[in-house]
Amino acid sequence: MTDSAHNDRTEQMEIDASAKWPVLVFFASALFWLLLGGALQLIAAIQLHTPAFLSDCAWFTHGRIAPAAQNALVYGWGMNAAFAFGLWLMARLSATTLRHGGWLFVAAKFWNLGITLGVLGILGGYSTSFELLEMPRFVTLILLAAYALIGAWAVTTFSIRNTENVFASQWYLFGAAFWFPWLYAVAQLMLFHTPVRGVLQPIVNAWYVHGLYGLWFIPIALAAAYYFLPKILGKPVSNYYFAPRAFWWLVVTTAFAGGSRLIGAPVPVWIPTVGTVANFLLLVPVVIIALNLFGTFAGRYRALGGSVTLRFMLVSMVGFILASVCNFALSLHAVAEIAQFTLFAVLRDWLVFYACFSTAMFGAAYFILPRLTEREWRSPALVRAHVSATILGVVLLTVGLAAAGWQQGQLLNNGTVAFGEITRAMTFWFAWQSVVLGLLLIGHLAFLINFIWIASPINSRGTAHAEFRNPPDLSLPEAAPEGHA
Amino acid sequence: MSAEPDKNFRLEQACASDDSIQQVHAQLRNAKPVKAGHYPFLPLGLLGLMCTAIFLSSTYLVHYSIRFDPLVYNDHASREAPGALKVAVATPRDLGKRVFSNTCITCHQANGMGVPGAFPPLAGSDWAQGPEERVIRIVLLGLNGPIKVSGTDFNSAMAPLGSVLKDDQIAHALTYVRSEWGNKAPEVKPETVTKIRAELAGRTAPWTAEELLKIGN
Amino acid sequence: MKNGLILFFGVFLALALSWAGLLLAAQQQLGSLGQFKDPVEETINPQPMSGVAHEGLLVYQDLGCVTCHTQQVRREGFGADLARKWGTRGGYARDYIRDQTVLFGSSRLGPDLRNAGSADLHAGVDAEYFYRLLYAPQSVAPGTNMPAYPFLFDVHPTAGRQPSDYAVKITGKAAPPAGYEVVPTARARELVAYLLSLKDTYDYPIEKSRNAPAETPKEGGH
Repeated sequence: MTDSAHNDRTEQMEIDASAKWPVLVFFASALFWLLLGGALQLIAAIQLHTPAFLSDCAWFTHGRIAPAAQNALVYGWGMNAAFAFGLWLMARLSATTLRHGGWLFVAAKFWNLGITLGVLGILGGYSTSFELLEMPRFVTLILLAAYALIGAWAVTTFSIRNTENVFASQWYLFGAAFWFPWLYAVAQLMLFHTPVRGVLQPIVNAWYVHGLYGLWFIPIALAAAYYFLPKILGKPVSNYYFAPRAFWWLVVTTAFAGGSRLIGAPVPVWIPTVGTVANFLLLVPVVIIALNLFGTFAGRYRALGGSVTLRFMLVSMVGFILASVCNFALSLHAVAEIAQFTLFAVLRDWLVFYACFSTAMFGAAYFILPRLTEREWRSPALVRAHVSATILGVVLLTVGLAAAGWQQGQLLNNGTVAFGEITRAMTFWFAWQSVVLGLLLIGHLAFLINFIWIASPINSRGTAHAEFRNPPDLSLPEAAPEGHA
Repeated sequence: MSAEPDKNFRLEQACASDDSIQQVHAQLRNAKPVKAGHYPFLPLGLLGLMCTAIFLSSTYLVHYSIRFDPLVYNDHASREAPGALKVAVATPRDLGKRVFSNTCITCHQANGMGVPGAFPPLAGSDWAQGPEERVIRIVLLGLNGPIKVSGTDFNSAMAPLGSVLKDDQIAHALTYVRSEWGNKAPEVKPETVTKIRAELAGRTAPWTAEELLKIGN
Repeated sequence: MKNGLILFFGVFLALALSWAGLLLAAQQQLGSLGQFKDPVEETINPQPMSGVAHEGLLVYQDLGCVTCHTQQVRREGFGADLARKWGTRGGYARDYIRDQTVLFGSSRLGPDLRNAGSADLHAGVDAEYFYRLLYAPQSVAPGTNMPAYPFLFDVHPTAGRQPSDYAVKITGKAAPPAGYEVVPTARARELVAYLLSLKDTYDYPIEKSRNAPAETPKEGGH
């Protein structure tokens, strides 16, 4: 037992050592974009209630800054963090080191180059105006080439795995790794390279956006949850027997659910109907996944006291449930009639991207980075600041955007209310949004400082060396004793 | 079980090795959740949920997809198959209105009132509602000289349109004029125009009001 | 799923099914949707937009107007789009076949623009109105949070040159100082030409009849 535990620990250290530099580079890039994108997002939010803010310069006009912020966050922070986490987890669960990590540096450089050009392109006026595809055309090949390297690494690591069994996290990672490039490439082809005509364009766009959120960000967040819960709680995932069904059901229905973004639009009505139907069916995997994850937590909530990762994972799981509920609600015509085109729709996407995915990545980072750098987190105060800011921010923004969106929708549907009146009524909520985004940004800054201390030689003498215990083996849940007399 | 929780958050200790996580879960995947002596509700409950979801979804899909018709954008539109397309047919009046709008409107104006002192009105005009032989001749060969229309004197020239307009165009335009702006005169048929055009073959001079008043009753 | 190959095929099939079922099927249905010739009036709709308007569409994309404005009119009975005079009827797919880039939009921080150029719906809306809106939104739409676009205009002194024919007349707080005039740049003119070209006035008879609301059944029950 001791031997195998020792071997496990050694092996994990080898894997971590091989993954150290690529993962750190991806995390560092991710953090850079998180802060830059967050700053741009804050400027865009301020412009909603103070339109004169920075509006004189064409580079900062709202129509350019808002998509620039969104792309910087999604492709800069989101994708880089997902790469960092995904590569590390794939290596760990495949029980193999990350070979030839140097190529991943190249990939990271090209990915970041592409995003930089893309964001600058949007700010300079070359936006394509399609949601989440605003980056100009010349960026596409750079991003796909960079991704090809990363995706090839993930798939290769998986295929040379030393393990017989494939765990849930690996299904989700593998799936996500496959889906993103195909979603992106097909969308680029059908919108820009050989453009489809008329209303087919928004249909392709809706398919892509829903696919990006539901088939990349959510699976990565779920991969994190399925891994870290048993890892930290020392208890197997509850009702794991149903997890494969949840995976397939989630995947097939999410792929069709994009049409629900087009309710009431001038597209053939079967498309939003199919989207709504897919969202109904999504309730089944959401229930199973909730059973899996919350069931694992059951009875162990005390462990939250000592684990940052678990706290973030819990927020992520709640975010997942809220996002699914929000998605389901918006696919009902009665709700869509009011809440479409409002801040409520913004909430739907923000819950997936931030409340579910970003928090999962924060939790993962707090677990992974000490293992890569073999150092401890230096400032518990900053950790606490980050956690509190995030939890408070998620709660406040969820409540705020939901209330704001609902009010906005009702005013929009009242033909007698002048548009200026609607804007005046919403000013309070716009200000609320700015404040909360500022709060979240402060939390991210706290994280950045801790990251710099742990990952770079800056002030490194203050950061202690980390001592890891050998993790014990997981055991099967006890079978109930035989009931016969 | 987790060790002493580190309230300082400096480090996350793992409580399970990766290898054992994978092994244990692989076994769990193949083991149905059975508690001896208990009837497992969860699988049945989930099955019930799946069936309900599929049933409700199918009903919704059939009800609101409206035959998967690409031209329907209203989820509350009729689900019946559309009948044969009723092709809108342009009536002679519609066609005549088109000719009028292209040709006659410049002088006689859209409201048929003409221009006082220059071009006679058609609205309420005794000439326009008069015998069709006269109006057809006017359109074919034009009219010069003084003419009294509905009590007002006019003295100008109307250009001949026989070479510009076809017979059915002339007939439809006249039908339009004779039934618009309160005019009540019978329609003009294209055959009549053809007949009169044949009768007039050889004549190129425009008419005078005097000549026309001798024709028709 | 021990077998990575099964996982791969399943994952591939999941996406391929949705691509075929949603996108390919939609393309088959809508890809060859054509213009419609009215049998009576003999007009052909939708008309393609003029070259200047097309340039304006590019400016619209460049400035990211789609961030706050939608271009999809919802049907009667679903929201208040028609009551707000954003259109005379719900939108049809055929309205968009001549648009090079279809910008539905997903956020109504500002009004829907699909019929912004329709003089029937919006009395008094002309090029001058749009220039004022772009230069100083508050002057024509009080209470709006639309940003100003001063970089689309050239404010220069009139001394030593002929006053421009295109100068925009702005009064009130946003008016230029005495001796200055505000002249729209080419980009502003193109954008306004595009906005003025936005009108879906024709009601296609086939779509109109197929989208008519179903009559409620006379006898109860479905």
